[in-house]
Amino acid sequence: MNRTHTPNAFGVDPWKARIDRVFARALVLPLLLALGLLALLLGDTLYRSFSVQVVRADEGPGRTYPFGLSAQEILRQDLLARGYTEEEVAFALEDPKERQVLFLQNRVELMWNTQDGPFRYVVTGVYDERVADFSLAEGLRRWNELKANLQEGERLVLNPWLDQTFLTRPPSRSPLTAGIGVAIWGTVWVLSLALLIAIPVGIGTAILLEEYLREGRLSRILEVNLRNLAGVPSIVYGLLGLALFVRSMGIGPTILAASMTLGLLGIPVIVVTAREALRAVPESLRLAAFALGATRRQVVFRVVVPAALPGMVTGVILSAARLIGEAAPLLLVGAAAYVPFLPSSPLSQYTVIPVQIYLWISQNQPEFARVAAAGILVMLLLLSVLYLLALYLRNRFRREW
Amino acid sequence: MSLEMLKDHETVRTESVSETEALVDVRHLNLWYGPKQALFNISVRFPKNKVTAIIGPSGCGKSTLLRSLNRMNDLVPGVRVEGEVRYEGVNIYDPRVDPVAVRRHIGMVFQKPNPFPKTIFENVAFGLRLMGVKGSELEDRVVEALKRAALWNEVQDRFKKESGLRLSGGQQQRLCIARAIAVEPPLLLMDEPTSALDPIATQAIEDLILELKERYTVVIVTHNMQQAARVSDRTLFMHLGVLVEEGPTDLLFTKPKHPYTEAYITGRFG
Amino acid sequence: MEILKQRPSRHPWEVLTFALLLLLSSVTLLTTLGVILSLLGDVVEFFRRVPLREFLFAPEWTPLFANPRYGIAPLLAGTFLVTAIALLVAIPLGLSLAIYISEYLTPEKRSRILGILELFGGIPTVVFGYFALLFVTPLLQRVIPGLSLFNPLSAGLVMGFAILPYVSNVAADAMQSVPRAMREAAYALGARPYEVALKVVFPAAISGIIAAIILATSRAIGETMIVAIAAGQRPALTLDPRETIATMTSYIVQAATGDQPVGSTPYYALFAVGFTLFVLTLLLNILAQWIVERYRERYE
Repeated sequence: MNRTHTPNAFGVDPWKARIDRVFARALVLPLLLALGLLALLLGDTLYRSFSVQVVRADEGPGRTYPFGLSAQEILRQDLLARGYTEEEVAFALEDPKERQVLFLQNRVELMWNTQDGPFRYVVTGVYDERVADFSLAEGLRRWNELKANLQEGERLVLNPWLDQTFLTRPPSRSPLTAGIGVAIWGTVWVLSLALLIAIPVGIGTAILLEEYLREGRLSRILEVNLRNLAGVPSIVYGLLGLALFVRSMGIGPTILAASMTLGLLGIPVIVVTAREALRAVPESLRLAAFALGATRRQVVFRVVVPAALPGMVTGVILSAARLIGEAAPLLLVGAAAYVPFLPSSPLSQYTVIPVQIYLWISQNQPEFARVAAAGILVMLLLLSVLYLLALYLRNRFRREW
Repeated sequence: MSLEMLKDHETVRTESVSETEALVDVRHLNLWYGPKQALFNISVRFPKNKVTAIIGPSGCGKSTLLRSLNRMNDLVPGVRVEGEVRYEGVNIYDPRVDPVAVRRHIGMVFQKPNPFPKTIFENVAFGLRLMGVKGSELEDRVVEALKRAALWNEVQDRFKKESGLRLSGGQQQRLCIARAIAVEPPLLLMDEPTSALDPIATQAIEDLILELKERYTVVIVTHNMQQAARVSDRTLFMHLGVLVEEGPTDLLFTKPKHPYTEAYITGRFG
Repeated sequence: MEILKQRPSRHPWEVLTFALLLLLSSVTLLTTLGVILSLLGDVVEFFRRVPLREFLFAPEWTPLFANPRYGIAPLLAGTFLVTAIALLVAIPLGLSLAIYISEYLTPEKRSRILGILELFGGIPTVVFGYFALLFVTPLLQRVIPGLSLFNPLSAGLVMGFAILPYVSNVAADAMQSVPRAMREAAYALGARPYEVALKVVFPAAISGIIAAIILATSRAIGETMIVAIAAGQRPALTLDPRETIATMTSYIVQAATGDQPVGSTPYYALFAVGFTLFVLTLLLNILAQWIVERYRERYE
């Protein structure tokens, strides 16, 4: 190729100009790929969270119920249809304990389409069996054919796996009746207690390093230590938690052990964000306060911290979002158990959202992949809310000093 | 006049301030930032209820001297001070003295207005709260301070709710002045208080300073000689960390005794 | 005079506050201590039962066999394989992005893109693992014959994107701290933007860029969920990215979720692997820090 670099009148080399343009465009590629991956991920998850299924009821006919009835009423009718007597049904539904067991074993959920028409309720029992499961596209395509071939006791449904009952139900051996409710509570418990540890330590350390010990031996040691801690893989924190909290201290695989482990994990992040927030406060404010005769404590806590508060709160929210998604360390500290009941105290067994998702993915049945997809959507939604909140706070309290 | 000569310089004084007239008595003050000496053997008295200006080219140490009067220099790591600064009879650099206590008796206003991101009320109340003042007395004193700082009329309808940052530059500086005088400090230090302000705001502040000297003693650092001439009763001229000359303002400006003073005043350097 | 008698700085509240802050900060030091001690205790116990030679050189990791072998090589190989693939993705993409961010964007767009990337980094790795196993693997299986359901290739590819923000943001940071004067000098000599980026900024920021890569490597090595879900939990000493393997992290997950009686050798093996992981990432992090410190004076 004859490449003559003949600059034009302005000394601009046209060849190089071309390279420049191509280069600039090529550089955007990774961003597009990353965004594309994100889109695929969301799309796949969303798509997978719907399926068309043929389900055979364990007891009774595969009935559907109209929209508008209460869950209790629907269950009552279904129990009757299954062959129980009026008295038995009335008794079971009146007694709170019995009712709770019934609702645990049966899931009343709204299906977007059924063999009897759109938006009807079905009752899924723990022992109901999935006969066939199709992706959205295929299922809708073959809808009429499937409907025509329904056997006795079977029902045809367009099932949105992410629905209101999914949010409140406990996990279950059967994907059809599984829910993320318990995991949500577990996350709330573990996260709250973890922040109870991480916030004081994190902000305290940040204040110490930014306001009291700006230089010196101790501050250097603390900083190096923090930097190393930040680089430690989260699973190693899990090992620490396992050896120290679960075993040595005998706390066992409980919420307490999990919060302590997660709390330690969250400290470095909070320190970084809090320090940034403190550093953003102009020195002139401190000087003004000192000139008025404030002690260091008064300067820090009456002027600096209040000024840095929005930044610190934002930092805490972002750290919380990070912690919510942590699965590895908690797997080691006991969240791996099959936990079908709500935690009642810090010493309860528990599970958290990302771990629950992991457990579902690890199951063999393909529907658990759908349940996992639904769970992922819940988690991403939760994280989005947190990020939006942080963003809102950051913009609302943007100061012009 | 080289640095060598400066070190042994004897300040040229005109109509020196007597001990009884002085609120602040600086005696042989030397200051080092690390290895570098910034103030050389400064001795001077600041008279009560008068405005004293400190002028000189940039880097001459005027801000450093000002900050030595309320031990603000202590906040700079590696600073070393020798000599005495006697304030109301006590050497504030005595090892038994807590710098924080010193600062509660002395007010300071900075070059760039720096109100706290709080309400106007809370800004002015800050120093008072440090002293433990509460309730209606607190409110009364805040209002009083705002009035004396000539800000009351402009903010009386909103001073409790509005943030101090919403005020204009000139108003913010008056807020900082109100904040500083709320605790009734006998001494008020001002470090180039109008250099960040427009001419109208500057004028307002200068008028304010003239009023303030009735109740307070003011020391003001300024790089604007005309300002010094307008507001001050006495002027100190510094150069390279040395107090070259001091005396009544009108005399210093019309009949400067030291050649360097004259050179600076006539604009030949600085 | 009053001043002499007042001592606000000595007030008990002042001392108490400082002491409290010290106490809180000491937790961070205690954490490091805790990590080391808790690992060390069980690691020592492990090496009392298994000779170091075997740990380092045996080609099999089979703690649950009748005749157990504790060679870490398969786990290291698995970790290495996945990490290498991830870096093959993350480095070119990350560095291009870094150049783009630092040289071709206005400050406002820059903070927006950096924000998007941070968001990306905020996605829990479980989600990436899900994506690797359920989307990427089936897709690749159509194209690559012999690709197992759990394989390091899918995991590595997805992980590459997961660690992308670490490379891009840290490297972009390094490039941004190259003084403007240097760029302007190049432009004044008639260089085009791409020449300035590649021939001036990039080499000037090289220490920071290398540090970014090392840090990303450390992250990749320590990554757990993506590999636990998609790469497999079956140790195998192989470099074939189509075979199921186990990494150090995926093994730890597998062993910890299984029930190991405390006191059994497999239980201690868990900590031996964890310790190896810890030391490895620690060394990499220290290396990265050292590089940044040492070569910081380059253009100052």
